[in-house]
This record gives sequence, structure tokens and C-alpha cells, in this order.
Amino acid sequence: MMRWLWFLFLFLTSCEDLDARTVVLWHAYRGDEEKAIAEVARDFEKTHPGVRVELLAVPFEAYLSKLESAAPRGHGPDVFIDAHTRLGAYRQAKVTAEIPAGVIDANDYEASIDDAVGKYGVPLSTKCVALYVNDALFPDPPKTLDALEHAQLPAGVFPLAYEADVAYYHAPLLAAFGGRILGDDGTFAFDSEAGVLSLQRLQQMSHDHVIPEEPNGPLVTQLFVNGKAASVINGPWLRADLGTSVRYHVVPLPSIDGAGQMRPLLSVEAAMLTPHGAKNELAIDFLRYVASREAALTLATVGHQVVARNDAWTEPVIANDAPLVAFHDAVKTAIATPVSARMQSAWVPSDEAIRKTLRGGDPRAALAESRRRFDDAVKPPPPPASPAPALVVLGLLMLIAAWRIVQNTHISEIRASMGAYRYTAHAIVVVGVLVVLPLLAGAATSLFAGTRDDFRYVGFANYIAILTARGGALLGHGSFWLTLLVTVLWTVLNVALHVSIGLLLGVVLSRPVMRLRGVYRALLVLPWAVPSYVTALAWKGMFHRQFGAVNALLSAVGVEPISWFSKFSTSLTANVTTNVWLGFPFMMVVTLGALTSISKEVLEAAEVDGCTRWQRFWKVTLPLLRPALLPAVVLGAIWTFNMFNVVFLVSGGEPDGATDILVSQAYRWAFSRGHRYGYAAAYAVLIFVILAAQTFFAERAGREERA
Amino acid sequence: MQPAEARNERQKTDSTSRPEAEETAPRVEKKLRCEARGVHKSFGKTHVLRGVDLTVPEGGFAVLVGSSGCGKSTLLRSLAGLETIDQGSIRLAGRDVTNLAPRERDVAMVFQSYALYPHLTVRGNLAFGLELRGTSPADIAARVREVSEMLGLEALLDRLPKQLSGGQRQRVAMGRAIARRPTMFLFDEPLSNLDAALRAEVRVDIRRLHDRLGATTVYVTHDQVEAMTLADTLWVMNQGQVEQSGPPMEIYEKPKTRFVATFLGSPAMNLLEGKLAEKDGALVAAGDDITVPVDPARFGTMLAPGRAVTIGVRPHDLVVHREGMTRVTEIVVDVVEALGFETYVHGWARQAGPTIVVRLDAANVKVGEKLPLAIDASKVHLFDAETGRSLSS
Repeated sequence: MMRWLWFLFLFLTSCEDLDARTVVLWHAYRGDEEKAIAEVARDFEKTHPGVRVELLAVPFEAYLSKLESAAPRGHGPDVFIDAHTRLGAYRQAKVTAEIPAGVIDANDYEASIDDAVGKYGVPLSTKCVALYVNDALFPDPPKTLDALEHAQLPAGVFPLAYEADVAYYHAPLLAAFGGRILGDDGTFAFDSEAGVLSLQRLQQMSHDHVIPEEPNGPLVTQLFVNGKAASVINGPWLRADLGTSVRYHVVPLPSIDGAGQMRPLLSVEAAMLTPHGAKNELAIDFLRYVASREAALTLATVGHQVVARNDAWTEPVIANDAPLVAFHDAVKTAIATPVSARMQSAWVPSDEAIRKTLRGGDPRAALAESRRRFDDAVKPPPPPASPAPALVVLGLLMLIAAWRIVQNTHISEIRASMGAYRYTAHAIVVVGVLVVLPLLAGAATSLFAGTRDDFRYVGFANYIAILTARGGALLGHGSFWLTLLVTVLWTVLNVALHVSIGLLLGVVLSRPVMRLRGVYRALLVLPWAVPSYVTALAWKGMFHRQFGAVNALLSAVGVEPISWFSKFSTSLTANVTTNVWLGFPFMMVVTLGALTSISKEVLEAAEVDGCTRWQRFWKVTLPLLRPALLPAVVLGAIWTFNMFNVVFLVSGGEPDGATDILVSQAYRWAFSRGHRYGYAAAYAVLIFVILAAQTFFAERAGREERA
Repeated sequence: MQPAEARNERQKTDSTSRPEAEETAPRVEKKLRCEARGVHKSFGKTHVLRGVDLTVPEGGFAVLVGSSGCGKSTLLRSLAGLETIDQGSIRLAGRDVTNLAPRERDVAMVFQSYALYPHLTVRGNLAFGLELRGTSPADIAARVREVSEMLGLEALLDRLPKQLSGGQRQRVAMGRAIARRPTMFLFDEPLSNLDAALRAEVRVDIRRLHDRLGATTVYVTHDQVEAMTLADTLWVMNQGQVEQSGPPMEIYEKPKTRFVATFLGSPAMNLLEGKLAEKDGALVAAGDDITVPVDPARFGTMLAPGRAVTIGVRPHDLVVHREGMTRVTEIVVDVVEALGFETYVHGWARQAGPTIVVRLDAANVKVGEKLPLAIDASKVHLFDAETGRSLSS
């Protein structure tokens, strides 16, 4: 459906192209920012009579694939707006063109901004973090981190809160010690003396309760709004959430005694030109206009954006918006986020090192391990292999298949069943397109490696790498075999609990003497009816070390709070608990259904024959439920084996990927370790093989039992 | 009754020596009297049992019979402990079991659907109750062999219930009950899922088995042939109460109520309205359809001319009128059902009057023909027209 809409859209835009007096602009803005860009477009239309600016809101994540499919055909936008951090990918995909000379003047911007976009974008606005301070708690904002740490504050108030376990927020601290996440040469620069110092400092802050434990975005916001955090490190996007609930002002990040200024990472929103737009004079005119001071003022006043042009800040309207000015000031000390595609592979290892340190690990060892993982993630794909052997095998297989089909086919039979084929044709087409083709495409992908521009056939290299644990220990960290063991443990635990709880509740709820059992049944099916990611996120919150409901309950009975995601056992427990909550209703419903098929007289016969209630359950009810439960268990095992949502959202693989299962591991290879789609596809094929084998054996066992 | 005497003989020998496992003929170890007193049971607002008394002597075969909904199955289930009773008491073998769970009552039950354990083989089904009681494997094997020989199940021991025919399942269900050697057997319409030929066969088997084992049995059925042929004592139930009990033939011959009279006997007794009157110095019961002689010796003082009565004559007791007999009525033949060895003739004495059924030996009757009928005064039943109670003393 989406695809058709997309084709329709392409068709419509190509019709628009016939009208040369149009500029097509893609953006991903919402709310005030969208209003602002629309106003800029209208202002441009006023000065260029007869020209129309076509605005289309497209999500950032969809940009690349849409640009790639549209640009070569000469469709798509003339201009699009995105963060400079993605320029590397866009340039690789050749969907951007250089901005013609004279459109912008480098002197209008801070040097860091100009560094960021280079020749490929018109800087519009900037985003970087600064320090929000609560006026009541910090009338006089501390200038140094040290002063902030030692500030006299009411009990229960954190001097500082920020998402400390995210590399983006740790980068300022790292920069203060002179470090970087990614070096200019594309190496993992975090693993340095500066990195160790920054992590030690973080460890100290966490230990001294300067910052809250296990922070996340909503928690940081909430703490600040409730006055439980005297200051937070956050970006301009926080302003909308704060509203007027708390009096605050924004200042640049503090400096650190004995080190330097904390310098945030900068990202620049820029208007970029497509090769298609480069041929459109009007598009160049439009770029010239958005680069102007006039447009910048509109973006600042209407969209409350931290506009990039220096000369816009002399305008009283925005010069008086103190927080906005503070963010603009922060740009002066900011460091542009590297554009290199390698940066994408650096985030996750950096996060991992920070989290390990926060759990009390040794920073040096954590960083060394993260460097190893970074190096592994950016390792060049295996050398291309000759597809000839595979093609020969494939050709032979097809020949054999064709031969067998020809041998086993009788024309008369086909003719006789022509009518039947007509009735099933649509189903064959739908299943073919929606199930078989993607499956084959996925399987074929597993034989390739590399990214978009360099997608090469590598034979079984991906499989060999996976099954040999990429040359490391077979049961080493993150290896296929270790993950498989975890997955099996995860599946067995879950299915055992699903079945036992489901059985228990099913048997209890089937007793006719129970009052309101209809109500209980409906209530108990509810966890199943709620989308699993909602449940997963709710449980994630409940397992929070400091503010979660589970620890609150435990402390009520005198148990020390547990840091659920810092140990494999507790982290797995949290995951299993969530998934049991999600999964038992299915088994309960199956049990209830199967119980109705058990003859009441058989149960009575057992009673008369001398069974106690317990004996009757084990010797009669359970054996009679088996035939119905067996397929449910097979299904449940498959679902659990592939239960991505819970693992990804609750523990997120914490601690350090130990609770990852095969499918979440595959996801990480595909999306957070340098887009190794072929490698991830090989994981998927292996998962498929494992599950197919499991189903096959379960089915055979079931058949033997029935025979 | 001859078999009953044989049973008594056996009881004497049993009381001296307990049966051992190696003994070939199984014996029931304990004999008991089953005794239910004033049993009441309601399901919601439906009063199913309204003060039932039931006693079964040791080794007796009691058949509970009645139309559906009369409470006979509920009574049986109450004896088994599958239903709790609201009021009254149940004693088995001299022990008050009113509040005991089924497993503590030591009874065995054969269900209408047989209720075999679908996941167990025939052997498993037979051994189930014994295993629960912790009987040793050797004893179980011996007991299973014994029972399967008795019922001809040897070849079926390793089959699952779904691989058996209806008759075979029925036998397994009985075997399961027998293997446990319970103090009492309860049968809940065990033959109603079998076809007619098989039913007759198994019926005889059950009687034979009972005579052989001498076990106290309570048997529920709505089939009067089963009731008549199997029972030592027949308990006719109606609307939650025992209407009449006693040996089957006695009930057949001397039904105490109109309900019992019509319930037993096939085709059912003809019931015709009439009044007592004097005719030629003798007492008769006269109605629009029939006028029958009344033998005062059988009815004693209950007879007063002018009293409204229901006249009951069984189809088997009516004969074609011949010289020297008193003609009681004349019917116009409507339907003739010739079964070969006997013939049922349906007819009416007056247009729009009730149908009268007659059993004849020969089939030489034609539709439309007039058929004069006679009856022996000793075969006439009289019931009070209002209460339905028999007038016989």
C-alpha cells in the first residue's frame, strides 16, 4: 500500500515538474518550526511572483531511501532540510550537490558551523546542549562543574541531571579533558587518556550522587520540572516540555577545574541541494533567500530556532530571548559532530563503555573493549567472491526441480484443475509477493556484504564469520553461540512459565463455582490485548533502580533496591517477567478452550475411581490437555525465540549485550554496527533454520505421540 | 429366585476366607446395605429430589426407573458422591458417607458415555483405580488378566478407547468398575448408547455378571425392558419421589398408581374413564368406551357405585370376544401392527374416543373391521379418577 502511495506521489511530483516555476522542498519539521519554514516559503513567493514553493513533510529516517529512489529519475525535491550529520551518507549516495559559490558567505557563521556543512548546505539553525539551571535552587549558576558538585542543596535534590549513559551527552565532559569520540583519521579516539579521565570523573559523580542513576530523557525532564534536579544538561528541545512549570535560565556548560571547558557536540540544520535542484535556477534563488538574514529572523521568531547567522542575533526580538541567546553562545564552544559514516559505528561502543563504567567497571578496560568492538564494526567487508559456484549450484538445482516438475506433471491434470487455479491465483500472488519474495530476498542478502555503494557478493563469508564467532572465542562476548545459549535459556524459561501460569489460571477459571469468572477472564486476557511495546516500556519504567515500582515494593518489605539491568541474572529476570506478563494469557486461553473439550464424565469417573483433585489434574486433565497444548507450546516457543520488543525495550541487551537474543543481535548488526545488512540477514537465515528444525522435530514428536 | 439362593451360598463361603489374588473367580470383598434416607436435592429453584428413601440389601440389584427428569440419575450421582445432597443421609455398608468425597465411598460407576480415559489403553483404564490405591504391580496385572478374561477383553488390552467399538467400550467400562472390587456398583444408563441387538446381549451379560459376582448394584435406566429383566427390586421414580418399589413382577401386576401402571408394559396400559355401577346385581366399571366387570374381592371396601374411576386394561389382557365371555367393548380397527409372533391392533370404540390397543396372537384382522373384546375380571385395574391411586387393597 505504502509503495503504491509512493508511486502515486512520484507521479504527482513529476507532473508538477512540468511546471518549471516550482521549487520542491522536503523538511521534517513539526509545530512552530513547520510554521516558520512555511512562512519563509511564502515570503520567497512574494518576492518571486509566479513561483511556487512546494513543501512536503517527510520523516528524517525516510529521507535517504526516498531520495535514492527518486533522485536518479529526476524526481524528488530540489531542496531538503536535514542535520549535517547525515551529509556523509547523502554524499556517498550522491543525492546532494554542491551549493554554488556566492549563495552563502562563510563569514556570516561561526567557524564550527561552516566546518560542519562545508560546501554542501546552507546552515539554517544549530542544535547543541547547554546547562538549564533552576532559578530557585541556583540563583547564581556555578561556573565550574566542581562548584556545581559541591553546591549546598536541599536533601534529595540532585545538583545535576542528564542522560549520562548516552555518548552524545558525555561528549562535553570528554571534550573538557581534550578528548573526542571519533578521531580525524576515523579511529575510535574515545579510548585515550582523556577518555579514561572523563569516565573516572563520571564514575565519581555517580558515586557521590551528583547525578541520578539510570537516567533517561523523561526522567531528566521530570526531575527538573519537580525541582529534584537543580540543573540539567539538555538541548533547546527541552524548552517545549518545560513550559512555565519551572523558572530557569540557560547558560553555557561549565568548565572543569584542572581541565577545560565542557564543549557540546554541534549539529547544524542545513538546507541541502539535490543534483536535480542544482539545475533549477529557482531552487538556487530559494537557497539564497533562506540563507538571508530576513529568513533567519522568521525562523528565530516564529520557529524559536537557534538560527545560524550571526547577524540575526543583533535583532532585539531574538537578542532578548535569553535561553535562545544562551544556546547561540554555546555554539561558540561547540564541536561539530563528525560527518564521517564511521561516527554511526562509534555511538554504540561509546555508550557501552560509559554504561560499564557507571556500573562500576574499570574505564580503561571498558574503553579498550569498546575500541575492539568499534574496530570490528568498521572492519571492511570480506573480499568479494566469485558468484560462479553459487550460480552453477543454483542452476543445477533449478534444472533438477524443473525436471522433477516436468516428470511429475500430467498435462491432462493441469487442464482439469485450471478452474481451481483461477480461484487460488490471487492467494498465490499475494503470498508470493508478501511472504516468499521477501524471504528469498532476505536469504539472498545474506550472501552479500558492504553498504549501499559497495554491495558485493561474498558467498558464505557472513555465515562463516558468524559461526566462527568472528575469529574470537566461540562463547565470547556477543558471539553467535553464546547468544544462542541465552536465547534458548530465555525461550525455555518463558515457555515453562507461560504454560504453568496459563494452565493454573485456565484450570482455576474453568471451575463453574467461581463467581465473576467472566470478569477475571477478561481482565487476565488484557495483557495480551495491549501492544507489547507499550507493556515493555511500562515494565522498563517499573524496573528503574531509583524510581521504579518494583524496587519501591521491595523496599517496602525491607529488600535493598536492586539495580536490575546491571547483572545478567536480574536483567534476564526483568525481561522474563515482562514477557511472562505478555505471554501467559495465550496459554490460558488455549487451556480454557481445551478444557471444554474434556468430558465431564471422564473427570467424574476419575473422582469415583479414587483420584484426589491433584491426582485428577496430573493423571487425567493434563494428559488430555497435551494434544491442544503441544502446538501452542511450539508457537509460543517461536514467538518467544523472536521476541524482539521485550528484549530490546526492557533490558536493551543490558548489561553489555549479555541479555541480547539472536533477533536483537541481528538488529544491532543491521542498524547500529555499520549497517551490515548481509551479516544481519545471515543471522535471520540461521534463526529461520533453527526454528524450522525445532518445529519439524516438535511436529514429528507430536505425530509419534498421536500414532 | 434361583440365582439369589446361589449368591447366598457364596456369601457364606466368602465370609470364612478372604479371596486371594490368585483365585480365578473374583469376589466382592465387602457386602453392604445401601441406605438413603429423606434425600432432598435442588438445583437452583428446581427441586429434583423430594425426600427419597432407598434401601438396597446386600447383593441386591436395584433398578431406578422413571421418565427423564424424575431425579433417578441425580439420586445415583448422590450415592456416588458426585452431587452433595441438601438434606437427608446416605449410608453405605453401615458407614455414613453423606459428606464424604467420591473416592472415600469405595463405589464404582459405569457412565452412559462410558467415560473411559482417552489417553490410556484398555489395560491402563482397567488398572487406573488400582494404581491410585497403590496396589502392587503384580496384583494389578493379575486383576487385569482376571477381568479381561471374564469380559473377553484379552485381545484389546493394548488398544486405546478410540480404537474400540461401542460394545467393547461398554465392556471396558464395566471391567474398570469390576477390577477395583468396590463395595457397590452404580450404573447410569449404561446401555443407551448401544444398538438394540447389542443392548439385549449386554443386558444378559450384566445380569450374568451380577449373579456371578453377587455385588450390590444400583442401576439407572429409563428402559422398562432393562428394568424388568435386571432388577431384584424395582424403584419407580416420578417427580423426585419414589412412586413404588418392589419386585418387578409385583409392580407390573399390582401398580399402585396410574403413573406406574402406564410406565411399565409395552404397549402401555389402556386408560379409560368410567364410573362404578351395578349391573345385573354385579359391580361393573362403565364408561363411554368400555364396561368392565369388577371383582369385589380384589378391591374390598373402596367400591361405591357412582365413584369416578380410571379403568386400566393392558393390551395383553384383552382378548377377542367369544361365546361365553362377557363382551366389554367393541372397537373399530384403525391400525394393525403385525410383528409376526404377535399383532398390535389400534382401534376406537366410538368416533373421537381414545385409542384402545389390543395384543393379539394372529394377524387376521383388517382395518375398518369391528372387533368385540372381552377381559377376565382379575386383570382389570381401577384407579381413583382424581388421585390416580390404585383402588386395589
